[in-house]
Amino acid sequence: MRVLVIEDERRLAENVAHGLRENAGYAVDIANDGEQGAFLASTNEYDLAIVDLMLPKLSGQDLVRRWRSEGSRLPVLILTARDEKATVVSLLNAGADDYVAKPFDLGELLARAKALIRRGKGRPAPSLRVADLEINTVERTVRRGGRVAHLTPMEYRVLEYLAHRPRAVVSKEELLEHLYDYNWEKFSNVIEVYISGLRRKIDAGSEIKLIHTSRGQGYALRDESDAAAGSGGGG
Amino acid sequence: MRGTSLVRRLIIAVILSQLLMAAGLLAAGEWFTRRQLLTAFDTALRGRAATVAASVRYNESGPGVIFDPALVPPSADRRHPDRYEIWERIPGRTGLIRVASSTPAPPMAVANAGGYADFHIGGVPYRGLLLRDLPVLDTEEGLRAPLPQLTVYYASPTLDLQQRVTALAIAIAGSSLILLLLAWAFAAWAIRRGLRPLRQLASQAEQISVHNWAFEAPDPARATAELAPLAGALERMLAGLRAAFRQQHDFLADAAHELKTPVAILKSSLQTLLQKPRQAQEYQESAEAALEDVERLEVLLARMLQLARAEQYADSGAPEEAPVPVPATCEAARGRLLPLARARAVTLRLEDGAAGAEGELAVAADGEELELVWTNLLENAIRHTPAGGWVAIRCRRDGGDVVVEVQDNGSGISAEELPRLFERFHRGDSSRSRETGGFGLGLAICKAIVEAYRGAISVTSHPGQGTCVSVRLPLAAGPGTQPSVAEQPLEA
Repeated sequence: MRVLVIEDERRLAENVAHGLRENAGYAVDIANDGEQGAFLASTNEYDLAIVDLMLPKLSGQDLVRRWRSEGSRLPVLILTARDEKATVVSLLNAGADDYVAKPFDLGELLARAKALIRRGKGRPAPSLRVADLEINTVERTVRRGGRVAHLTPMEYRVLEYLAHRPRAVVSKEELLEHLYDYNWEKFSNVIEVYISGLRRKIDAGSEIKLIHTSRGQGYALRDESDAAAGSGGGG
Repeated sequence: MRGTSLVRRLIIAVILSQLLMAAGLLAAGEWFTRRQLLTAFDTALRGRAATVAASVRYNESGPGVIFDPALVPPSADRRHPDRYEIWERIPGRTGLIRVASSTPAPPMAVANAGGYADFHIGGVPYRGLLLRDLPVLDTEEGLRAPLPQLTVYYASPTLDLQQRVTALAIAIAGSSLILLLLAWAFAAWAIRRGLRPLRQLASQAEQISVHNWAFEAPDPARATAELAPLAGALERMLAGLRAAFRQQHDFLADAAHELKTPVAILKSSLQTLLQKPRQAQEYQESAEAALEDVERLEVLLARMLQLARAEQYADSGAPEEAPVPVPATCEAARGRLLPLARARAVTLRLEDGAAGAEGELAVAADGEELELVWTNLLENAIRHTPAGGWVAIRCRRDGGDVVVEVQDNGSGISAEELPRLFERFHRGDSSRSRETGGFGLGLAICKAIVEAYRGAISVTSHPGQGTCVSVRLPLAAGPGTQPSVAEQPLEA
């Protein structure tokens, strides 16, 4: 997952980014004013934006309004020092999804950020399940058939992203876009390394393979037998 | 409950004065009537006594003085007949000889100077008149011997007179009582009506609370001579209180808002640190960063207090201060900021500073506060001037004022930002001023201090060319200061 933090207090932005990286394993980009934030959002793919309300150049509320008028579905969490009812109401009406009042609890902020990402992907439950694969996004643990799979942080990120979009084919570019912040060099072959690692740790020893490769298109996480049964039964 | 009621007291006062008037009227009426009746009564009494005396006959050949009781005039009061006694004094002899009397004879009583006496007979009041040495009128012609002289004591009942006086007194008292009741009702009505503006004012004033500052004196109260000053004073006081309250409230809200961000930084830093066990070096670094955050918070608090104090002075007026030479404070401020100017490669100069004697450019103000103003202005100017630029501070005299200008050739301020420049917590270009450590309080503090000393602060700026902040303070009329009044046009 990749998060955009727009906050003009650098220390605060860094703390939030640090928390998101360390606690949730997200890739985080930081913008220090509204215009920079708008630029980053228009040139990169994000799964969540955390936006301070009082920003230089372009306020958080204007930013949200602009995104919504452009039809963006990016989940937006507002940081505000003004938690009066009127401010909150106008914020939510402008298209923000949630808000946290300063000084906030970092744990609460992270939990709200995760919840917004889940909802943004249409998977409100905190644990994701594909066949007998279970991903707990709160504890960041993965089990296959009751057996714990020990993943590296990057392997986990790839798996979590795929699990959020089950059955869909996700391109290498999309994965890169959502798993790395702009400070990182993007090499497409690193994705292949993680995928092979995941195959080894999750699919090895199981009859049903969950990770599938579509040549030239990307990767998908799906239970083929389940998909067949699902389409048959659901039709 | 109220201890005393104005209405009740006024009504009591009216009733008491009415009572007093009624009592006076009663006494005067009774006295006057009694006097009038008594005068008439006395005249009639004298007439009756004279009639009785004139009815006495003298017969030389007979028993001498004779009186026929049938000749006594009938009494005005049938139930209580008149009483009389007649004596004669025979010439050449001493003592009086009784001639005739009613039965019973009137008792002797102490008579007053006019010969009248008051007494009671059987509980009935009588008034008697004693007439001495009257001649006998009813005689025959040609008598030689000297005639005896008569003394007549005649009394009539005054019961009728007393009754009439009493009746009059009762009439006066009765009508007074009715008038009193009427006056009571009228006073109660009129006083309540007259005090209505006061009651309206009071009920309006009762509406005032911490949440409702709206107060407008009702028109009747404003139109009442006695209430107009009170209504005006209330309105002014409330307006003042409201402004002060609002300012406090705004300041508190602003302060709380501004404090939230640094607290959020500190809190998130510590929470990040505690998320998992870390290396000793990480703890060390985080503790240092947190300490820096706390120090910044400390500076913010100190500045807020400066502003609060200056704004308080701006409202209530600064305490009287001795004149302070302005050029010296400018010099001191420049000295303080030279290191910052050097670090940012900005030239900082004091222009035509102490032109003339120092005492000439003195202002009655606290020297440290003036220095704080110049320091804030210079710091702002330096922060908004790129490397290689210059910042100048100069002071000069302009009529009865001292004018201090801080000028730079920095980035300037856009026209739309100028009006908001002096608002507290306003940051021009937020991202940059945060980087430079500003809180948006410096100019607000300057404005409040300058206004506390009855001065004015203004800014002119051309974006890209530079900014000039001008502070105008009234020249102190102190020793070494030339009288400035003479130079100033009286009609400005």
